[in-house]
Amino acid sequence: MNADAQLIEHMMNPKNYGELKENDATGMGKNPQNGEKVAIYLKVKEGEDPIIEDIRFQAIGCTTTIVAGSIITSEAKGISFSRAQELVSVTLGMLDNLPPEDAACSEMVALALKAALDTYYERQKDPDFPMISYRINNDCTPKEEQQS
Amino acid sequence: MKKLFKEVHEVWLATQFTGFMSQTQSRQDLYEFANIFFKHLTWLENDFIKNKIPYDYSIDQVPIRVTHLSHMINNIVQRLESIQTLLPNCDDPHITERMQSDIAYIKSTLLKMPEEDVSYAFDTRRIYRNVPLTDEARDALTLFLFEESYKEYELIMVYNFSKAHSDDAFLNRIFQILVDESFFHLRSFGQMMAEMGILGVPRSLMEEIYKFNDLEQFLKDGIQEEIGAKEECKRLAQAVSSSSEYFASFFTFINNQENYHIALMEEALNHLQTKDRLK
Repeated sequence: MNADAQLIEHMMNPKNYGELKENDATGMGKNPQNGEKVAIYLKVKEGEDPIIEDIRFQAIGCTTTIVAGSIITSEAKGISFSRAQELVSVTLGMLDNLPPEDAACSEMVALALKAALDTYYERQKDPDFPMISYRINNDCTPKEEQQS
Repeated sequence: MKKLFKEVHEVWLATQFTGFMSQTQSRQDLYEFANIFFKHLTWLENDFIKNKIPYDYSIDQVPIRVTHLSHMINNIVQRLESIQTLLPNCDDPHITERMQSDIAYIKSTLLKMPEEDVSYAFDTRRIYRNVPLTDEARDALTLFLFEESYKEYELIMVYNFSKAHSDDAFLNRIFQILVDESFFHLRSFGQMMAEMGILGVPRSLMEEIYKFNDLEQFLKDGIQEEIGAKEECKRLAQAVSSSSEYFASFFTFINNQENYHIALMEEALNHLQTKDRLK
């Protein structure tokens, strides 16, 4: 990851970092390879197409994960669930263009968001539905290490 | 009491990171005050444990981006005033009296600190005084400082939590050394971040990082992480060596220090395994 000014800003002051204790749904993205994980918490405004009123994330992960979490949650704040699902799809669709270590981090955040959205829908049917957790497919080992 | 604990944790970080911004004698004073606030945190923590009250290390983000030192000093004083109003929530009068006395002195001293322009610590220019860096070295150093400043904060809290919950004197000696080592590293990296104009307070820790059930596994993982950190230091020393002899020797020094941390963790692991065998 090149450390340009915008990214440095996210490293210095990650947006939406922390736990949202009064949440309506949470979701988790996990990297089974190294135990890294991202949790996303949503506060939702009910409706036909619910709105993400507030969003927070926490991570056990590297700086790239924090930057991805900061960017994706900033994009997701205030948008409808249908647009959030598009955001997840667009993010997952872009992963092939990223270095593996960056792809794995972004995938983990996108899947955590997807898990939170899916948990919310499930909880509309069953309030006790447990938090959904998705595992990433990308390998976060840098290409040069994979080849050696 | 939990609010008090959280605010003491936050004022410790605010004071420590204000110390990184300062380029005068105030830096040393702020470091000393930060040490005192960390000590307060451990007193309150022990009171939680004594009274079997569950607690955690969650905090809000601690904003520190200011142009002048006095802005942070005023912020710290405000935080201390809030802490003073919360002190009655702690039932142990010995703790509150000691904290009250420390805070009264620190507040009066803080307000006498000379003004400094500290905007350089946040200008994101990533220039190190008198040390030329290639773009590659600058990027590598930037990522390293963000990763490692968080890691050192994490280690301070993890070992502190482990120490607070252990009555094993042998292990506690090791945990305390590791806490002290991480303080030294956090200070080294914090000062470098300020110099590079990228200073930021580490994010709050997820509970499962320090509330683990298997200390043995934690130590095994920790040893692997330290070996990884050594490699990272070695890589970084190589990346910056062409542009800076100063950084190359600094990272070689840090790399060699990791050997000591590994030895300490191995010592703790052996101790635990021996204890298990004797059971």
